[in-house]
Amino acid sequence: MKGTVSIKGTRDGLTITLGSGDLPLLLEDLAQHLAAQGAFFRGGTVALHVGGRVMAAEDLSRLKDLLAQHEMILRTVAATHAATQQAAKALGLRLVDQEPKQEVAAPVQARPSVSHPMDGSKGTLVRRLVRSGQVIRHTGHVVVIGDVNPGAEIIAGGDVVIWGKLQGTVHAGAMGNGLAVVCALELNPLQLRIGDLIARPDEGERPRKPCPEVAYVRDNMIVVEPWDRAPRGA
Amino acid sequence: MPARVITVTSGKGGVGKTTTTANLGVALAKLSKRVVVIDSDIGLRNLDIVMGLQNRIIYDVVDLVEGRCRIRQALIRDRLLEELYLLPAAQSRDKSAVSPADMVRICEQLRGECDFVLIDSPAGIELGFRNAVAAADEFVLVTTPDTSSVQDVDRVLGLLEAEGHSRTGLIINRIRPELVRRSEMLSPSQVLGMLEITLLGLVPDDEAILVSNNRGFPIAHDTRSLAGKAYQNIARRLLGEHVPYVSILECRQGLLERLGLRGRQRSS
Repeated sequence: MKGTVSIKGTRDGLTITLGSGDLPLLLEDLAQHLAAQGAFFRGGTVALHVGGRVMAAEDLSRLKDLLAQHEMILRTVAATHAATQQAAKALGLRLVDQEPKQEVAAPVQARPSVSHPMDGSKGTLVRRLVRSGQVIRHTGHVVVIGDVNPGAEIIAGGDVVIWGKLQGTVHAGAMGNGLAVVCALELNPLQLRIGDLIARPDEGERPRKPCPEVAYVRDNMIVVEPWDRAPRGA
Repeated sequence: MPARVITVTSGKGGVGKTTTTANLGVALAKLSKRVVVIDSDIGLRNLDIVMGLQNRIIYDVVDLVEGRCRIRQALIRDRLLEELYLLPAAQSRDKSAVSPADMVRICEQLRGECDFVLIDSPAGIELGFRNAVAAADEFVLVTTPDTSSVQDVDRVLGLLEAEGHSRTGLIINRIRPELVRRSEMLSPSQVLGMLEITLLGLVPDDEAILVSNNRGFPIAHDTRSLAGKAYQNIARRLLGEHVPYVSILECRQGLLERLGLRGRQRSS
C-alpha cells in the first residue's frame, strides 16, 4: 500500500496526510519514511491531516511518539470526525480546518527546447533577510531574495538559489539528491552540503572580489565555480 | 504624550547594555525628559552600581511584583537628575521571580508617569530576555564590532521580527578606529550591511567609560567627552531629531579619522 501516507514540506513545517488503509500499516509506512529521511525532517513541526478517519487518543499519541522519536513536534490536527477531534483535544493538540483546496498541480510547461529533469519541480520563495537562528526548510527548491547571514540555515530537497550574500549554512539535495546545486551572488557559506557531502571553505583563503558562483558535485566532491564558467546543464 | 517603553538588549553579554541604558537614561533626563530605567537582570543586578545608587535600594522589582511595596516606593531618584529614576532588580532571586505579564503591568503603570521607560535586558534569549522585551514597543540593540556579538544581535532581531516588532535601532559600541582602519575590526558599514537595521549611533571604545561606570557616574553627565557626546546624540536621535552621523556611511574614512584624532587628543 504505497502512497497512503504523504509528507509535504510547507513554509510552516511539514504536512503529513494519512490516506486510507489500516492504521498500523500507515504508521509503519510513516516510520520507514522518517527513518530514510529523518535527518531532513529533524526539528520540524508537523500538521497532521487525517480526513474522516476515526482515531482514538491512543492512536494519536502513538503517532506523536513516533514523530518525537525523530525529533519532530506534532502541532496541529485536521480531522472531520468528531471522535478524532475529541481525541486530539484530549491530548492538548490544536485542531485546525483542513485546507479544502487541494493544491492544484499545474505543472509549468517547460518549453521544448529546455528539458532538464528538474524543470517544473516545486519550490519556495523567501523574500527577506534570513537571520542567524532562522531555518528555512523545504522539500523542494529554495530561492532566497536577500542575504543569508551566518548562523542561518537553508535545508532544501532540491536546489538552493540565493540572490544575495550567502554566509550561513546550506544543505541542498538534503534527501540524498547529489545533482542539486547551490548558487549565490556571493557564495561564502560557513558550511555547504549537497546530498551526502559536506564542504567548508578553505580557511586560509584570502579575500577575493566576490562574484556569483555555483556549487555542485563533481567526482564525489563539492566544487565551486564562478557562474560564467559553470556547466549550464549541471 | 504616552511614555515610550524601550528595551536595551543584545543577546551577548558584556557588550555594554547596562552602560548604554544608564547613559541613555542620563542623556534623556538631561534633555528634560522624565525617565525611569528598569534593571531586569534579576539575580545579577548592575544598573544600580553604574548609576551610583546601590546604597539607596530599599525595595526592588521583585518586592513590587510580590506586593510588598507600591511602585513609588521602589523607584530611586538619581543623585543629580531630578527626572531620572531607577527601578532596581533583586539580587537574591532569579529570573523566574518575574513574568512577562508582571513587566507589562509595571510598564503600564509607569506609562502615565514619565516620558521614557528604559529596560536593561539581561544577556541571553531565555526567560530574562522574554521579561525584558514583553512590555516594550521599541528596541535598542547593542553590539560591539566583533563577529560573535553581531551574529547574536542578528539572532535577537530575528526573534523580535518573528513577534512582529520592527521598531529597532542599533548602537555600535566600543569602536576602535585604528583597528577598523587596519581592517582588523568590522567597520560600522559592514555591521549595518549584515544586520539591515537603523543606526542610532556609534560609541568609541574609551576607558573613561569604564572609569565613570566604576565611579557610579555615567559618562553622559560629561557632555564634553567624546563618549558623553555620542550618548547625547543617540538620545537626540531617539527624540526624532536629525543629528548627522559625522557622515558615517558616505565618508567612513573621514569619521574614523576624526574619532581616531580626537581619541589621541584626549590621551595626550
